[in-house]
Amino acid sequence: MSELHVLCKIADAEYVLPAADVLQMESFTGATKVPGADEQVAGLVQIRGRVVPVLDLRVVFGLPTISPTIDSRVVVMKRGDRTVGLLVDYAREVLKIPPADFQPPPAVVTQQTEGLVKAVVQAGNRLLMLIDFTKVIGEEREHAE
Amino acid sequence: MTSGQSGSQGGGFDSADFVAGFITEAEEHLALANANLLSVEDAAAKGQSTPRQVRELFRSLHTIKGLAAMVGVEPIVEVAHAMESVLREADASAGRLPVGAVELLLNGVRAIEHRVKALEKRQAVPAAPTKLIDALSTLRPSAPRDGAGDGEQTTLAPEIWSKLSGAERSQLVQGLSAGRRGLAFEFIPTPALAAAGLSITAVRERVAERAEIVKVVPRSLPTSERSPGGLAFVLVLLTDGADAALAEVTAATPDAFTPVTLVARHAPAAAPVVEGGAVEDELPEDALRHRGVVRVEITRLDEALERLSALVVTQFRLGRAVAAMRVAGGDVRALAPIVTENGRQLRDLRASIMRARMVSVSELLERIPLIVRGLGRSTGKVARLALETSRAELDKAVAERIFPALVHLVRNAVDHALEPPAERRAAGKPETGLLTISCRELSDSQLELTVSDDGAGVDAAAVARRAGAPIPTTDEALLELLTRPGLSTKEEVSTTSGRGVGMDVVKRIAVDELRGELTMRTKRGQGTTFSLRIPLSITIVDAFSFVCGDETFVVPVAMVEEIQEIDLGLTTRGPDRRRAPRPGGDRRRTARATEMIQRRGQAVPVLRLEEVLGLTSAAEDRSAVESGGGGSARRKAIVVRRHGEAFAFAVDRMLGQQEVVVRPLEDRLVRVHGISGTTDLGDGRPTLVLDLAALGGRLVRDSTGAPPP
Repeated sequence: MSELHVLCKIADAEYVLPAADVLQMESFTGATKVPGADEQVAGLVQIRGRVVPVLDLRVVFGLPTISPTIDSRVVVMKRGDRTVGLLVDYAREVLKIPPADFQPPPAVVTQQTEGLVKAVVQAGNRLLMLIDFTKVIGEEREHAE
Repeated sequence: MTSGQSGSQGGGFDSADFVAGFITEAEEHLALANANLLSVEDAAAKGQSTPRQVRELFRSLHTIKGLAAMVGVEPIVEVAHAMESVLREADASAGRLPVGAVELLLNGVRAIEHRVKALEKRQAVPAAPTKLIDALSTLRPSAPRDGAGDGEQTTLAPEIWSKLSGAERSQLVQGLSAGRRGLAFEFIPTPALAAAGLSITAVRERVAERAEIVKVVPRSLPTSERSPGGLAFVLVLLTDGADAALAEVTAATPDAFTPVTLVARHAPAAAPVVEGGAVEDELPEDALRHRGVVRVEITRLDEALERLSALVVTQFRLGRAVAAMRVAGGDVRALAPIVTENGRQLRDLRASIMRARMVSVSELLERIPLIVRGLGRSTGKVARLALETSRAELDKAVAERIFPALVHLVRNAVDHALEPPAERRAAGKPETGLLTISCRELSDSQLELTVSDDGAGVDAAAVARRAGAPIPTTDEALLELLTRPGLSTKEEVSTTSGRGVGMDVVKRIAVDELRGELTMRTKRGQGTTFSLRIPLSITIVDAFSFVCGDETFVVPVAMVEEIQEIDLGLTTRGPDRRRAPRPGGDRRRTARATEMIQRRGQAVPVLRLEEVLGLTSAAEDRSAVESGGGGSARRKAIVVRRHGEAFAFAVDRMLGQQEVVVRPLEDRLVRVHGISGTTDLGDGRPTLVLDLAALGGRLVRDSTGAPPP
């Protein structure tokens, strides 16, 4: 596993995502709404010709939504067959974090976030949370026709 | 239906159909002719004769001529006739084409293509090019029909050939037949060369190290500055190496080397040819039948698909009827497996029709050699093309879209990337540039086409300068700059690549239109590779675009029964007991079909699309028929039908009708009933493609209390 991580912010908290899974980071000016899709889905954006569903991490984390700002970013992640964008308030920095530095999150955190936070890490005086991307996007189910 | 195509009705003769048939068949034969001409040229360079190709060429042109005469396109008849005459002559002399014939014949094919295109676009067909026809008719048959009796001829100048002994002639002919290259190298001794140690003896020794010398023929020249001694030596050689190596050791310029090739073998006994008559008696269709190929207009396949879609709907209704019977307590044990089987068969049938739309990659690439050849001529570059095709097949619609992108990459490679021969020599590269096009199936839905050259590589600094941007450090960033609209790195306007169309076009086609990917690897001095990853098939539909609730949507034309203006006078509004707000309710459920419009004397329920989709909360109380903004503009009703029942969706305004590429929404996060995919209307944003019938059906189920799907 790579040591590089993308740092992003949602509300006042800081999170990291493994850079190896990140395809690109794009600024966010709005998405095409998908009526009938889950509330967490901010919509669809077209990034370099590919149509990517975007999940609003604020909604995923149970926070109030905000209008896009100049710092808003879509972090496009790829895992297996699925490519999904995560909308965050800020994402620009890349950090090097040795894998050994990650600690399992306290049980309470695991419970309250329903496993969305996979690990925590102390970087300087900051506490960063590693987001479980697979959990966030949910398991892909086979859809019967 | 809104389709505007004029079909042929009744049993009458429809000339439009006939012309369309001519165009398809002519294109088939022109493609074949191009391929044959190139292989004739190729073979000639290796000293082989090509009686089969010449005969096929003859047949192609003969067929085109006959068909064009039937359609009454005189200019095509004229060109085809002139070409046919040359080819008949060649066919009669066992496939020997006169010198320069290939070039003229290629021009002839182009001239016909040009006129077929005009016909297709319903433009005036230009008159036959008289210069070309004159040139074709004055082509001299190259070699004597019978010669010294040895049956072999080469392109070696007759005065040299006559100096060769029988053994030397057969030495040369055998070497050429074995695929070695023949050269006539003219060495003119001068005092300067002699001072540099290059006497004829020295040259003979040096050449002998690199080539097999068949004979050295001295000949006298008029005394001139170029030949102060009035003497030259022609070295007849057989070689496997490059001219450059020979040129280097003999301090000669490349023009001192004349290639020597076999002209032709005499008519083999197996293919006796009766002049003029026999060939013409064969039916042109034979050529096609042999290949087991039928060319079909794509619209016919689309028509079949459309019929199939109707069948699928019927099958669906059948399924529902059986389900209803079961619910009503009927015994459906015998019916159920039949319905399932029927569904499977329909899916198979659909797959078969989709397969019929596929064309092979080699078919996609068949015109590339011709393009490379043409580019080489117009740029003075020497390029060798290596095609690595596979058996992969892709949808005709994809093939048609990707082809211009491919051509553009090839043009760029020859025009910009490959260096002129002298420059390549100086860089220690072979003078002939190498262009490789290969193809690889990435999965059963994706194909990768790569265009590589061994040229100069992309000059990142020059690109950055032109784009007014900092020098990119990665290939990705460089490609990003290269694909900026309007960027062209070549300082001067070149005839082949032109100005204005750049890599942005390639990107637009591959990425925006086909939803593929474009990547690039480049290394200064070593070359560049572009990769196009494209889907094997796409769904293209004719669609209406419209605005509703500040959002733009499209709906396939095939789904729409009618679009009508909502006339306030013909609208009724019924009571709606379910309009009262529900706590935490889903707004979509509050859209009830209580408003109706009159359509041909029938009441059709109107649903507000923005409410069905839950788009707006501001206009809760306004009527479906009132306009959202100023009030004066009338809303439009899109009438669709589901299970025989008509519905209308009220939308704000219609934008237009266009062909769109529909991409399904694959991720489960956004797979929603009633939304069949997305498309790009050119604004770089995804636009939703709606399945209005399904949306209407959802409401019907909601109101009848049936469980959602």
